[in-house]
Amino acid sequence: MKKLDKKDLRKGWLYWAMYHLSSMSFEKLEAHGFAHSMIPILNKLYKGNPEEYKKALKRHSVFYNTEPQSGSLVNGIVASLEEEKANGKEIDDEMFHSVKTGIMGPIAGIGDSTIQGIIIPILLTIGMGISSNGNPLGVFVYIIGYLAIILSLSYFLYFRGYHLGVNAVDGLIGANSERLRNAFSVLGTLVIGGLAASFVHLTTPLKIPNGDATIELQKTLDGFFPGLLSLLAVLFCWYLISKKKYSGTKVLLILVAFSIIGVLLHVF
Amino acid sequence: MDFVLLIQAFLIGVFCYLGSVSSPWLMGVSGGYYVVGRPLVAGLIVGLILGDITTGIILGVAVQAAFIATISTGGTQNSEITYAAYGGIALGILTKADTGVTVTLSVGIGALGLILHNVMMVTNSAWNKRADRAAEAGDARGIILNNSFYPQIVNFLLRVVPVALAIYFGQEFVTKALDVIPGDVTQIMNVLGGLLPALGIALLMNLLIKDKFQLIFFLAGFVIIAFIVKNMIALTVIASLIAYVIYLGAGSSNHTEIEDEVI
Repeated sequence: MKKLDKKDLRKGWLYWAMYHLSSMSFEKLEAHGFAHSMIPILNKLYKGNPEEYKKALKRHSVFYNTEPQSGSLVNGIVASLEEEKANGKEIDDEMFHSVKTGIMGPIAGIGDSTIQGIIIPILLTIGMGISSNGNPLGVFVYIIGYLAIILSLSYFLYFRGYHLGVNAVDGLIGANSERLRNAFSVLGTLVIGGLAASFVHLTTPLKIPNGDATIELQKTLDGFFPGLLSLLAVLFCWYLISKKKYSGTKVLLILVAFSIIGVLLHVF
Repeated sequence: MDFVLLIQAFLIGVFCYLGSVSSPWLMGVSGGYYVVGRPLVAGLIVGLILGDITTGIILGVAVQAAFIATISTGGTQNSEITYAAYGGIALGILTKADTGVTVTLSVGIGALGLILHNVMMVTNSAWNKRADRAAEAGDARGIILNNSFYPQIVNFLLRVVPVALAIYFGQEFVTKALDVIPGDVTQIMNVLGGLLPALGIALLMNLLIKDKFQLIFFLAGFVIIAFIVKNMIALTVIASLIAYVIYLGAGSSNHTEIEDEVI
């Protein structure tokens, strides 16, 4: 009976946590990072069986791509499958491939939207709020907050994957997690609204003649809706991206043109 | 030759490397790309190296706003965030540029950086082939070397050399350029610097808002900061409360569905 101990698994997690993208290329992405992370596992399981060892290295060197931090779950699951296989269970290469490619998509979807879409922007926003006058405290809040959350999550998911095997996915894509993610996306949406109000700046120097005096348009706007122009700018970009399906680069070019024309016409 | 500046420029280049997406040394993307690679953190580090922490952080916050929604996978990038952060903030401090000018400068440097990043992705194909051969031979050491060590030499050179040179020689160039370019151009950069965060935020909204009615949450967040309290921590607490109420609400409706089925 071959059994992975905590030390092998910790190494497997650590190698994945470090080397997931270290040889990223357009066609292989995290393929060799995955193989690299399996080495401590395979060293233990296929010791004295070079044929199986070779086969295992080969089957984990194929294209692989997911959100790496939450994706540690997959590495844990695959470690448990390798352990079963080393103990005589019939698991062919096809099975490994279908488990990996079947889970990497959903994990990337959930991981990217939760980590890059919610956790990072919220923490950054808090850090930027504290640091906006040059105070380093906000930077440390971000660094410590992010590392504490993400490293414990990644470690926890790896071991969860190992202990539950393929069943580990259910908890992550089930109804309750859907409900949790919806609540988190509300949290994220509220916070980025505040982020827009804090960091998007669009004001106009236009003055409207009013008899002898002139009215500064910006002051009038601020009087009934502070930051209205900034809000309109964000909604315009969102409209182009989500409704018109414009790429980020295209919107960037539109903003450049908009700034040039606006300044030359003295509207901004 | 200004040795102090050369050493500072080199150090900034090293951090640009450590914060790159494929650098493994700070726990992969966790401590690298998503921490050291963020402009907010780069502002502190560059500020420390150049001896002006306050300006560094202020510029870091401004550049971070433009890159608030850098989505590294799936979406197309138009600017490589780590080159943008380290090159842009360093030149911003050295040339005493306005925040708007620094942000625009960063985005430009990031666009050039993206080309170098893609060069690394292409050269990595060669290391990938060697790693494949190592796997076929059952050579674990070969996989480790070709996955982590060799590609990182290329990555290191592609980051440290251009960033250090850009900072070392760019200082004079950018200072002169800012002196001679007309006021309108500076104003355009300032307007664009204020607008760029709108693009990042719109990309984030696209990721989070699945139903147009959810736009109300975005508007609420905007209005709370614009009208009521200019404090993100206060907003985060209020937002957490609202999210929790919604979570509880969604739970009770699930419950009734189950009960209905039982009946």
